[in-house]
Amino acid sequence: MAVVEHVAASDAPPVRPAPPGLLRRVCRDRTGAVALGVVALFLLLALAAPLIAALYGKNPTEHYGQNAPGLLSDGGLPIAPNGGISGEFWFGLEPGLGRDVFTQLLYGIRTSLLIAFASATVTTALGVLAGVAVGYLGGITDRVFGFLSNVLLAFPTLLLLLALSPVIQSRLVDPGTAEPEWMQFLVLVLVFSAFGWIPLALSLRATVRSLRERDFVQSARAMGAGGFHVVVRELLPNVRAQLLVHATMAVPAFVASEAVLSFLGVGINEPVPDWGRMISRGSEVFRADPTYMFFPGVALLLFVLAFNLLGDAVRDALDPRAAR
Amino acid sequence: MLSFALRRILQALAVLAAVSAAAFALFYAAPADPARAACGPRCDTGQVAAVRASMGLDQPLLTQYTDYLTGIVAGRDIQDVDGSTLHCDAPCLGYSYRLHQPVTEALVDHLPVTVSLAAGALAFLVVFGLGTGFVAALRHGTRTDRLLSGFTLIGASVQIYFLGYVAQWGLVYTTGLLPLPSYTPPATDPAAWAGGMLLPWIVLGFVNSAVFARLSRSQLLETMDEEYVRTARGKGLGRLRAHLKYTARGAAGPLVQLLGLEAGALLGGAVITETVFGLNGVGRFATEAVEGQDLPAVVGAVLLAACFVVLFVALADLVIAWLDPRIRLG
Repeated sequence: MAVVEHVAASDAPPVRPAPPGLLRRVCRDRTGAVALGVVALFLLLALAAPLIAALYGKNPTEHYGQNAPGLLSDGGLPIAPNGGISGEFWFGLEPGLGRDVFTQLLYGIRTSLLIAFASATVTTALGVLAGVAVGYLGGITDRVFGFLSNVLLAFPTLLLLLALSPVIQSRLVDPGTAEPEWMQFLVLVLVFSAFGWIPLALSLRATVRSLRERDFVQSARAMGAGGFHVVVRELLPNVRAQLLVHATMAVPAFVASEAVLSFLGVGINEPVPDWGRMISRGSEVFRADPTYMFFPGVALLLFVLAFNLLGDAVRDALDPRAAR
Repeated sequence: MLSFALRRILQALAVLAAVSAAAFALFYAAPADPARAACGPRCDTGQVAAVRASMGLDQPLLTQYTDYLTGIVAGRDIQDVDGSTLHCDAPCLGYSYRLHQPVTEALVDHLPVTVSLAAGALAFLVVFGLGTGFVAALRHGTRTDRLLSGFTLIGASVQIYFLGYVAQWGLVYTTGLLPLPSYTPPATDPAAWAGGMLLPWIVLGFVNSAVFARLSRSQLLETMDEEYVRTARGKGLGRLRAHLKYTARGAAGPLVQLLGLEAGALLGGAVITETVFGLNGVGRFATEAVEGQDLPAVVGAVLLAACFVVLFVALADLVIAWLDPRIRLG
């Protein structure tokens, strides 16, 4: 025994556990690397927004066009061509109020990301809890959950989000009093969380149901492991990849949903900068000043596309069979 | 097949009953003041009190719910704010105090626009999604495949309102290639109907086809590797014929399922598309109801949309069972 051990130790190079290496595997794919770069850039811009705005010398709330003459015409449209783009206002001016588009976009990332990350965290936690529990317990719990999710999925998502926001608002805020800023964020996160966990729970339920019958889970149970141990130590590590992919895909979905709600006028209110509301305002004037809608529209497209590509790359890195 | 269909229909009915209960709980029990929410911001205290009595909000919740269900099945009498009583016919989804009209009637008025929009968009979705998926699967791994996959990913990421305005700007206002989107009843002028709906069909169909294209590509790829398809090819059946006859049928299940879900969702009202193109369909009606704080109309629209989803998902299941005997017998 001792000899064998000695030989093995001297021959083989010291084996170290491979680094998690997910990042490296994502970056090996060129599309994945670019997507990761764009996402990182957006995150950086969101974090550094006050700093960039200070260096740039503008803020997202001041009505530059109304305060200084020569920027907006009498009709409220920017005088300079292409929506008032100039050395001073990089992305132009907002028609009407005359705010700076660049800083509005910059701070808009923060609004989107804050809501998307919070909603993704809550829905992922709820989805894991429900999916793993239902998949592990099986039986009557499973049937009840199946029926329940059928009912919930029958509801039209967007319409429900539209209709629910005022209902939740009426519960949280007394009529007549102004709604504090953080409350708008909270309402949106609550609305998204109420239904966003179901798809993850459904897919985890299916995975756990098949994992439950596998040998390693059966052996753990045969050795007397309790339900908690099986769930936390045996099942959860095996659904980690699925979870990560879902969370990556959930962020752009929530960013898009938040923008839709704001576009339709039940999301974030003035004066908090928001992309969906910018597009909505841009749609009112887009024949006279298409530039104002162009920037938030393209920013949103880039942002969601980069996150979707990143999600694809993460899935391919974690599950090479899915790559094809 | 018959027993499968019966079971499936019963299941759909159970889901619908639960949906109606959930909608009722959500909108009649959850708001701080349902009467205020139903009557809207312009009502004075007296009118709100009248609505409260008319909706039966002073009754126990269970009585309210059974009244509501009775209305759906058999119709019921409803009092308007001004005291006049009128009969709300069989599928009575409540009474809109804002429009002074039964909700069902208002929904039926808006339905043709939504049905036209959904039907055209679905047709585009199937042709375009299946086409790109099929070509990408046949040319798997080539530049064509990557190009098409990138194209569908853009479709999955672009916001329909942004694409809608950009397309309208580029194809209608600047170049005049397409007429301004509008709805003309197909019975009066089919050409104007198709012309006015063309842009909404393309935009809505394209955005929704992304998921369908990706799924059809992966489904077809998976099925192409199956033994029976390779056997058919080995017997000398041509590539296209083998794929159309065997691969397509084998891959159809999940595609039909997704299509059922899409059809149900689209028929419930494409809220954003209708807003962008100024089409006055069910989705637009629903958003106006939300804005005007017209609770009965909102609930009616939600229930109608849910009915469409349940109906078409069940329909898709029946088609799948017909395609695949293992499901209806298993």
